[in-house]
Amino acid sequence: MSSDNYRSHYTFAMDFGTSDFKYGPITLGEKPRIVNNRGYFPDKSSVMYKAFEPTSDVIVGDDVPLYLQSAEDLSSRLIYPMRNGMIDKSDDQAWRVVSSLTSYSLDAFKPESNNGFRGYYVVASLSSVSPRYMYERLLGTFQENNHGKIRAVTVIPQPFAVAIGHGVTTCVVIESGHGNSQVCPISKYPIRAAQVALNRGGGDANAITSEILKDTGYGDLANEEAVVRKVKENIGLVPGNLDNAIADAKKFPRKARARYRVPGTRVEVDLEKDSWSRFLIGEYVFNPNHEIFDSYFSRGMPRPKDVKMGDTVFRGMLDFGEAIIASVERCPVELQPMLYREVLLSGGNFSWTVPPKLEESAVDAPTKVRLLLRDRGIKNVSVKMTSSPQFSVWHGCIIYGFAVPEDYEWDWQRLEGWMKVSN
Amino acid sequence: MPNPDSNQAGLSFLVGADQVHVMVLKTQDLAQRNSIIDTVLKLSSLRNSYQTVYLAAPRLLGATIDASIFRAHGIGLLFFDERRIDEAVAPQPLQPTRPPVIPAPAQDPALVSELATLKSMYFEMERNLTQLRDDLKHLHQAPRNEGFAPQPSHPPLGGGPHEPVFAPNIVQGGPLPSYFSNNPWLEVLSKRGRLENEPLAG
Repeated sequence: MSSDNYRSHYTFAMDFGTSDFKYGPITLGEKPRIVNNRGYFPDKSSVMYKAFEPTSDVIVGDDVPLYLQSAEDLSSRLIYPMRNGMIDKSDDQAWRVVSSLTSYSLDAFKPESNNGFRGYYVVASLSSVSPRYMYERLLGTFQENNHGKIRAVTVIPQPFAVAIGHGVTTCVVIESGHGNSQVCPISKYPIRAAQVALNRGGGDANAITSEILKDTGYGDLANEEAVVRKVKENIGLVPGNLDNAIADAKKFPRKARARYRVPGTRVEVDLEKDSWSRFLIGEYVFNPNHEIFDSYFSRGMPRPKDVKMGDTVFRGMLDFGEAIIASVERCPVELQPMLYREVLLSGGNFSWTVPPKLEESAVDAPTKVRLLLRDRGIKNVSVKMTSSPQFSVWHGCIIYGFAVPEDYEWDWQRLEGWMKVSN
Repeated sequence: MPNPDSNQAGLSFLVGADQVHVMVLKTQDLAQRNSIIDTVLKLSSLRNSYQTVYLAAPRLLGATIDASIFRAHGIGLLFFDERRIDEAVAPQPLQPTRPPVIPAPAQDPALVSELATLKSMYFEMERNLTQLRDDLKHLHQAPRNEGFAPQPSHPPLGGGPHEPVFAPNIVQGGPLPSYFSNNPWLEVLSKRGRLENEPLAG
């Protein structure tokens, strides 16, 4: 049987996101299975543990809620291994969660015995800023957990998978999640030397939202993370031009009024005459350099700093326009116009909407990025959201696993290729 | 009392003159796709043997099923966790029945003839469908100048002289997902390691 026919059934992808773990074989079609990217280490003396006697020390997947014990224990027992896209080298608990998730996912799709199954071709994806030791640990995990389930394994960066899933071979992928953002040029390969990382993500939008709630008399809500996030998602806007949007909102406060009721409660946030501040939320994500934010920094809101994590320096105050330009200008000059023509935005931090009647002031994420680049002299730009923001990484991994020849062996310089797993 | 029928899973009780049967779903069963349906179908088949039947399931299942279905079929539903057991749906007691004796109808020659005709048409359709499936398979495997059909880039896997039989949940010969359509990466990736002189932008 040809390898293409075999891999049209036995290609398997795993997307290790910061919150969710998406997994499954090619035969699932459009949508992978999804569980939380987390694991729980139960207290072995508990009645529940003794009654159901799980075979593993780490509980992952849909069973986690069954084993949760006291709230006080959660912070030490419930582990989210990839909150910032990276796992510390010495964080054994986090690596055990990752190991359990890989076993859990492969066991969920065990083919019938004696049907000629010789192991899956597994493609896993990691954040583009993952240092080499993460590749080493993850590939080692697959080797340990094999037991005949895996024929070969590889790891690819998530922005690379996004480009593959979107079907564009030359582009810049900007991935923005809760903790950080990455700008990654792709031209048939990831151009790793040109990547730029930002120490800014959805969590920073939450921070400015919290400050706005304090300033407008909702200090009691400002400390509840889940409420702050909901308020951000429902009233936060991205301005095309911040000064003009604020002026317009102050002139016509009813048009720009920001109001949100927390579902199932009587709690309502109404910014009234301060509704202009809703534009600060979106602006801060894309460009924290406006002087209006200085007053928040001086009052104690943390200014995004440059930090080094692993091998990568994450820039704190670089706006998205400058970040894209800095990244593209590290690439060959001939390639640069082609990269600007395909800029892809991926990740939950780009899900900004434009409400009716505010089309003149508010814009969506692709438009904002286009405006930032235009203000810096880059005009022939095409910026789009990825076609399937939730699943594009998983799609890209499936295509990679199907198409790459099986004799293309893993190379530690290139960080690509198949690593054969002994059976 | 223990279930006298060793082939039947579950627990049987005698409550007065009524026979009660309970089938228990364990937590690990929830992870298996067909175990819930299998258990419920087994319970339904026991409706004529026991006055009352119950399904006992972990409380977690309560959020995912509609209890009215159990009510409609007279099956009782119990939820349990480490603290207690609750009856979510009360069963409808039923007298065990004997299957009715239906006299064999007299054979209608016209009906028999029509059935034979339908049978031969069915077999003909089945042959045509098999032929169409084979033609489609050959069409997918044939080389193309454009489109997403992948080119075989290397010799078949060695070892294993027999064709694998795929699991029932795999649709053999089915189309690839939509994100494969017109995707240029299929060709780019299929050449990995083949064009060693190709300059890398990275």
